[in-house]
Amino acid sequence: MNHEVCVTGLGVVAPHGDEPGTLFQALLDGQSAIRPIFPELPRPAAAATVAFDETRWFTKLQLAGVDRVSQLAVAAADLALRDAGLAANDADPERMGVYAGCGMGGAAALEAAYRGNGRVSPLTIPAFMPNAPAAHVAMRQRVQGPVLTYSIACASSSVAIAEAAKAIRRGEVDMAIAGGSEALIVPGVVLAWQAMQTLASFQPGEAAGAVRPFASDRSGFALGEGAAFLVLESAERARGRGARSYATLAGWGLSSDATHLTKPDAPGQARALRQALRQAGLAPRDVGYCNAHGTATRIGDVVERNALANVWGNDLDSLRVSSTKALHGHMLGAAGAIEALVTVLALHHRQLPPNANCSEVDPACSLNLVAQHDTGAPAIEAAMSNSFAFGGTNSVLLFRRS
Amino acid sequence: MSSLKELQDLIHEKYGIEPSKLDPNASMRETGGLDSLALAEFLFAIEDHFGITMPDEDANIDTLTELAVLVDKVRAAKTA
Repeated sequence: MNHEVCVTGLGVVAPHGDEPGTLFQALLDGQSAIRPIFPELPRPAAAATVAFDETRWFTKLQLAGVDRVSQLAVAAADLALRDAGLAANDADPERMGVYAGCGMGGAAALEAAYRGNGRVSPLTIPAFMPNAPAAHVAMRQRVQGPVLTYSIACASSSVAIAEAAKAIRRGEVDMAIAGGSEALIVPGVVLAWQAMQTLASFQPGEAAGAVRPFASDRSGFALGEGAAFLVLESAERARGRGARSYATLAGWGLSSDATHLTKPDAPGQARALRQALRQAGLAPRDVGYCNAHGTATRIGDVVERNALANVWGNDLDSLRVSSTKALHGHMLGAAGAIEALVTVLALHHRQLPPNANCSEVDPACSLNLVAQHDTGAPAIEAAMSNSFAFGGTNSVLLFRRS
Repeated sequence: MSSLKELQDLIHEKYGIEPSKLDPNASMRETGGLDSLALAEFLFAIEDHFGITMPDEDANIDTLTELAVLVDKVRAAKTA
């Protein structure tokens, strides 16, 4: 039997705060959390960082060997369960799973090891390992079923959510904590991203508007950090306990370009889009909003537009699109999760976050972009979130109103 | 002189454990709640604090008193 998959809890620790409603309002208002960082670096850098008080979640003793990337995950997962109205002992621990995306792992631990002048913390490895966030969430919530980590660059947590949904649909678990975390805003990693030539350039004082998805003058993205988790349950279980369902995860599509490590590929992305539509039993015109991958790179935005145009055809104008990376940065391994959370909230509130910082749309990216003054979507029934990774893996999550 | 007081201060600073809450003769693992990872990190902090290198063979030390004796020994050897 195939179970319908409901989203019953949302938890986030983001540059815009740790309350989903506050985050969503900030996005609706077009507030950017991107700020200059590390003035000591040779080239200007900007990122969206989290003001995180780890003492709300950990004693000093509990913090031994726990990198920031795991701290953020534990907090966001805990908030998601609380939002779902669940306590850790409400489900059979063996019938619960954690599905966590993480692109890099504990960057701060690794950076500290490198910068320690030979003094390396004995807990560097357990702090750094990319599956530490999932393990810490499992220990905190006593999850004894599958506890899995998906490291698929920018699609990590989108894939994690799709995999969790599969497990719910097939009845392998009763409840899944699915999402991801990333915390790599440390000088060494920022230097590496700068060398990759994908980060947005900006003039002094203009970091907040540096990321301009689909705009003629776009120049790349800014890094972000944070964590987001969704609680997924079968519709029967959610109804049985009287839970609120924000949305149904109706379809997902996973595909690989199999063409190039870093260059995106429209046919590959289109395959994932079609698969998600097919699984949800929806036609392109049924989908009212797309939270785009939209990294604001010269090539990426055009390829994504072409993939959408290929699948939507004459209905492309009916699909409203925005990339919220302009405001919360590119959270890499957590990007799919926070953007899924934003998509769910857009559907739930029938309001769409605008595509910020785009004063002049690139003709090659011609899309029905959500404008700042026109965020209402009173009739929307379905919305999707795109995540396209380095490595060529594409993941699309398609939600319907519950 | 015994390093016990300094170790108690260090464990308080690092892990927030008050000296009165951890009997120097009780097991740090069982009474203090330090698991093997926290203990490994504490030994590392001790090395930093005293500028010493702790010998590997004494990793099974279980109480703060035993730890203080070992730290005293290593510090004495260093000054000798």
